[in-house]
Amino acid sequence: MRLNARRKEAIAGYVFASPIILTIMIFTIYPVAMALYYSFTNYQPTEAQKFKFSVIPEEAVTFHLAVFPDEPGLDRQELIDWFDAILFVELDLGVRLNPSQKQAVTEHLMIEQIVDDFLGGKLSTPMTTERFFSIYLNAEQHQFRRYIPEFVGLNNFQEMVQDEYFWISLSNAFMFSIIVVPIQTFLALLLAVSANLKIRGRGFFKAIFFLPSISSAAAISMIFWLIYSKPGVLNRLLGTIGFEAVDWLNNPNTALGAVMVMNIWTTAGYFMITFLAGLQGIPGSLYEAASMDGARFWKIFWKITIPLLRPQILFVSIMGIIGCMQVFDQIYFLIQNMRNITISFYIYRNAFQYHRMGYASALALVLFVIILGLTLMQKRFFKEEAYF
Amino acid sequence: MIRKKTSIALIIGYAVLILYCLISLFPFTWSALVSLAPMRHLTPEGVERGVDIMRWPPSINLFRIPPQVFGAPATTDNYWRVFEITPFARWILNTIIYAGLVTLGHLIFDGFGGYAFARLRFPLRDFWFLLFLSTLMIPGQITMIPNYNLMVNFGFVNTYYGLFLPKLTGVFGLFLMRQFFLGIPKELEEAARIDGASIFRTYFKIILPISKPALSALAIYIFVGHWNDFLWPLLMTNRRDMYTLTVGLDFFRTSYYTFWQYMMAASIMMTIPMIVIFLFFQRYFVESGVSTGVKG
Repeated sequence: MRLNARRKEAIAGYVFASPIILTIMIFTIYPVAMALYYSFTNYQPTEAQKFKFSVIPEEAVTFHLAVFPDEPGLDRQELIDWFDAILFVELDLGVRLNPSQKQAVTEHLMIEQIVDDFLGGKLSTPMTTERFFSIYLNAEQHQFRRYIPEFVGLNNFQEMVQDEYFWISLSNAFMFSIIVVPIQTFLALLLAVSANLKIRGRGFFKAIFFLPSISSAAAISMIFWLIYSKPGVLNRLLGTIGFEAVDWLNNPNTALGAVMVMNIWTTAGYFMITFLAGLQGIPGSLYEAASMDGARFWKIFWKITIPLLRPQILFVSIMGIIGCMQVFDQIYFLIQNMRNITISFYIYRNAFQYHRMGYASALALVLFVIILGLTLMQKRFFKEEAYF
Repeated sequence: MIRKKTSIALIIGYAVLILYCLISLFPFTWSALVSLAPMRHLTPEGVERGVDIMRWPPSINLFRIPPQVFGAPATTDNYWRVFEITPFARWILNTIIYAGLVTLGHLIFDGFGGYAFARLRFPLRDFWFLLFLSTLMIPGQITMIPNYNLMVNFGFVNTYYGLFLPKLTGVFGLFLMRQFFLGIPKELEEAARIDGASIFRTYFKIILPISKPALSALAIYIFVGHWNDFLWPLLMTNRRDMYTLTVGLDFFRTSYYTFWQYMMAASIMMTIPMIVIFLFFQRYFVESGVSTGVKG
């Protein structure tokens, strides 16, 4: 039987598209759904991993009963009487229990079975506590298998409103965007306009300006850490013209500013390439006509260059805002003061250092809504289709 | 009169470009100098003393043997020491594996996806496309936590799987490739199809060979991006031998003391491959930079 062409094409389409469909579903769509769910819970990763620890049951029982399995003259009944289920699980297996789990352990732990296997030498292989409970509980195993975070409704969001560091980190991220984006855009534009003159060695300049953006934020942060440090070269330079030394990164008043300067330095040359491509697309005859009219340089700049570069300006500023609101690497390496952190670093800190993934997810959700809002606003403001 | 005006503009233009050129190069130059400075050195008077790596001016003398930086003889010892005090070679390997496998994944799967969405008709195509388009706005902070948990549950923390699996393909590369394929004249494939070649054969024999420019731009963009990636390797690795270069860099910074010379040597070593790639493939950088402009 021959498949018709349409069917064939549909099958081929799915064969080609399935890797990316699967990847996006598993690593983007599913996580977004989970993050949404987490943000209404008190998801704690330490709790979630509780039953994944590997134990050697024989050792735990040995500790608990203070006897070795091969000791001569052990009395099975005596050992069973000695056995305290709760103490065994909490102290010797090292699993902290909540009240309903305690009840389950008291009622359903098969102590006789454990003691028999202990004496029979069957407990010597390592296993996860999850597996241990699935063997030695005669009911209620499900309580020891899956971690179900507690649903807390809007608590995370209420907490956020009162969380000083949420506001600090959010306003720092805003500050970062408000200061960095216009300056880097203007600087990139200035460089592009300069490079668009009849300049020799344009390729050389482009290559040099591109360098910072292909270096990793980690390496650049370390280099600037050296430059900004208190005995560092920046202070030496400023010292020669009579400024006092400032500990740029440890002073909460200057730290964020220092990182902003670094960020502008990293990205301006990169965005310049975008503008230069745009400028080279503007026909030279337009300029000639304008300068025949005796229009001055600035007038040409404002009336011709800027309007014609609108798509690029929109693109650069959107990309800049998205990047700035999420700035993380530089903050991780350079900022030591909680007063100067940005929101994405605060999300990281909550999720992976305070082990509060529920709250961190709620914070991430807020960041998402803000970025979405800013982008839509910007598109409206420029009333133009995005350039990508 | 007009001539005079343009030459003034030209002078200002050169001034701006040269000034910014110096600003761009200064941090790299300084870190290269520091990486070449010895930790301690013997003064002509026979006194052993630490080298002041912040000294201004840095008193460079390239005409002496050995050349002098910061008033001390330059040395490459720091570079060798980095390999001794850290598993730096392993970090380089890890980074190459991570960035390399991710790039390979993108080349294969973004190409597939791009072709499917550019040329093939299949049910729900527009739905998938819109869905993918909408994911462009989602910040990494949202997906990072559930993805981390997913990898923990798979037991993939501290493995290469954990590093590269979630990154094997992406919407950005899909759009790039789709855009490129849309620009290829359809007649090219139709001729092959009429000759009886299957869709797969057409893709591999006709489309792929002429897609080199787009694939190269994609490969470079993805490779550089993941060579420099920090957050995901930071989450996925907590054993020293699984670090990538960016994560390992923090190793030179202890709470008591920073080994500046080693750190700068390491920074320079992890930047040089990117510069080399850039110099060789500059054309593609500029192309992908202009049409995308996504960084970090």
